[in-house]
Amino acid sequence: MKGYKFFSLTLFLIAGLLFISACSSEGSGGEDSGDTNVPSEITYATTSDAAGLSPIDTNDSVSSNVTYQVYETLFRQNPETLEPEPLLAESYETPDENTWVIKLKEDITFHDGTPFNAEAVKYTFEQLKDPDRAAPRASLLEPVESIEVEDEYTVVLKTEEPYGPMLAALSHTNAAIVSPTADKEGNINKEPVGTGPFVFEEWTEGDQITLKRNEDYWRETPEIETVTFKVVPETSTAISMLETGEVQFIDQVPSDHISRVESLNGVEVQKSEGTRVSYLGFNMEKEPFNDPEFRQAVAYGINQEAYVSQLNGLGIHNESIIGPKVFGYNEEATSSDYEYDPEKAKELIQENGYEGQEVTLLAANRDNYMKMAEIVQSQLTEIGINASIETMEWASFLDTARQGDYEMTFLGWSNSTADGSELLYPNLHSDNIGSSNYSRYSNNEFDNLVEESRTIVDQELRKEKLHEANLLAMEDAPWVVMDHGMVTLAYDESVEGLVVDPTGMWSLYPVSRK
Amino acid sequence: MPSAAEATGKNSETEKKNHSRLVEIAKSLLKNKLSVIGLIIIALIVFTAIFSPFITSHGPYEQNLESTELAIGSEGHFLGTDNYGRDMWSRIVHGAVISLLVGLCSVGLGLIGGIILGLLAGYYRKLDGIIMRIVDLLFAFPGILLAMLIIAMLGTSLVNVVIAISIWSIPGCARIVRGSVLSVKKQEYILAMKSIGASDWRILFKHILPNCTAPLIVFGTMRMATAILSTSALSYLGLGAQPPTAEWGAMIAAGQDFMWEAPHLAIIPGIAIMLTVFAFNVVGDGLRDALDPNMDLNN
Repeated sequence: MKGYKFFSLTLFLIAGLLFISACSSEGSGGEDSGDTNVPSEITYATTSDAAGLSPIDTNDSVSSNVTYQVYETLFRQNPETLEPEPLLAESYETPDENTWVIKLKEDITFHDGTPFNAEAVKYTFEQLKDPDRAAPRASLLEPVESIEVEDEYTVVLKTEEPYGPMLAALSHTNAAIVSPTADKEGNINKEPVGTGPFVFEEWTEGDQITLKRNEDYWRETPEIETVTFKVVPETSTAISMLETGEVQFIDQVPSDHISRVESLNGVEVQKSEGTRVSYLGFNMEKEPFNDPEFRQAVAYGINQEAYVSQLNGLGIHNESIIGPKVFGYNEEATSSDYEYDPEKAKELIQENGYEGQEVTLLAANRDNYMKMAEIVQSQLTEIGINASIETMEWASFLDTARQGDYEMTFLGWSNSTADGSELLYPNLHSDNIGSSNYSRYSNNEFDNLVEESRTIVDQELRKEKLHEANLLAMEDAPWVVMDHGMVTLAYDESVEGLVVDPTGMWSLYPVSRK
Repeated sequence: MPSAAEATGKNSETEKKNHSRLVEIAKSLLKNKLSVIGLIIIALIVFTAIFSPFITSHGPYEQNLESTELAIGSEGHFLGTDNYGRDMWSRIVHGAVISLLVGLCSVGLGLIGGIILGLLAGYYRKLDGIIMRIVDLLFAFPGILLAMLIIAMLGTSLVNVVIAISIWSIPGCARIVRGSVLSVKKQEYILAMKSIGASDWRILFKHILPNCTAPLIVFGTMRMATAILSTSALSYLGLGAQPPTAEWGAMIAAGQDFMWEAPHLAIIPGIAIMLTVFAFNVVGDGLRDALDPNMDLNN
């Protein structure tokens, strides 16, 4: 009978929900590791497939996780000090403010046998800058005017104006050096060729990517033989696979799942402060959000501490825009002038006649943004603002936010160079209104400070400029900082040597299994 | 004047007949134990929905970030609290209001649309072809897909869910009504009405439509179950009620991330949906048996 069909459908729905997370996928990629030997393969679960495998043509963290193992950059940031250190480079000097002479390491070859030399660096950077190739991170080397090969292992970069974050830019995963032969003859976006510790083996799109260790690596050969990046769209499924040993590690564990992961036997969790900042942004071109008093009232009315307490230890309460793990941070900026004070917020709202003001909070339908939206909505109601939430799927959200078709929204910025200029310039400089400056914040004084932070080469002075710009933006409050994120890794206890950087990146080179 | 008196006399006679028929139906409905259970559940849900402000101690949107994910049976929150410290009981009760309203509105609108189309198609041969082909076209879509398509065009909100579900209810209702019209319109009393010059509208609504009441009541009750289930399904998929709305489907979607720490966040709204849908379905089944003496399943 029809009625019972619906009834059983409902039962099925509930049963399905109960077990949806417990079900692991078919497990086609189960790895058999011999009991006698130490396993030498490692599998990582990723929530989505890589967009591509060429550092020049991609700009997303999923792709970077793979390219980071296959390619290498001239410099790499030290995760402790955040200072760039030479990797493929041997040393560098700056004879004048606009010239960077970089000496390269010798006797390194790409996986296809092409020698690594100044020509390869020149080729890669020219491709990155080539308008025809339209590399998404072309901006990294935008101030570079010319790239010259001085001799086989020396390359000279000339800029029009001094470029402070040069080394940070050269450490960026998207500035990794690619094999010129492979790029000219094939498609490195499908079959990547770099100098890194792992060699590309196979990519079954939508399923998995396999890497093999580079037997001719220029440093010591890595311990791990086979690396598999497996696509597992559901976080809870990935966690179950970690539990059963089908995958050995996952990263970016959502705060709602962290306590489950921490309770698993034989799984270790690594948490450390990251560069990600999450914020509530106002659309500065709309009323009443262009009124500083309205923004201040909202800032006074938001209790970030209560929000952070819901993150299960995966966020830090710090109201500075430049976070503690980002270059340019100064402890003075820890708390803003508008710390949580609901009474003051109500006063400001009433004085300015904003009582009962209707606002719409635009939120992407991702767990973390939805959480911010629900908590902020409730806190705004308490100070007398009527807020409603509008949710959108990620891609349409980005479009809407970019066009400035919103009132208040929630966003985050993971800083992959851990340099403050790389945060303030794209997100708050008036040059980027209509692209990455979603808040449409425009302040000449702030713009000048950020420009100075980009053109000064003296790192101490840069730091001061960034700090000044940071304080200025905090006072203007185009953003209310919600939290600074933690980076996480959860891995099987047999995995050793895996460390996550503040930028969220991890290298499999030092990793082994016992 | 005398004709008017005659008419009233006739009416009271039919009323009497209707009355005894109603008692008969009620008796036969009450014989069915499952239907009685269903009726009791529906009565309880309607009661809690109507008196929701008086039987809850917290607002459904009142957050308390210091007491989140309290278990069932906690002090002051007998169904516990959700991940934002909101009282689960208040949210479930509020969800009942939403589900019943959405169900009533969408079934009501669907019935009105279906009745009009069905009457027109059954009575006017010229319209029959066009209307029934459109209805067939709507039938060709799997129901929930049709609703999702409509929401994709209109945007996500509860009002659009009501519109989508009512459009989805139209074809079934139109087909039932058309069938009854076809079987009735050839009968002599309709011919008699026509010959004394009654207007088409009068014939359709006063003399043909009452013949469809029984199947429509069954259809409407069953449809309530489908409408409530579909609303929850659409909200679960993020296409219906938007957070923080205390809608059952949306509550399951939000709660499923906490299956390990606080399973009641997803299970309680799940049970609420199941009970409601179950109740409407068994009552619908009971009504069908009661209204159709030819189909006595119990004996």
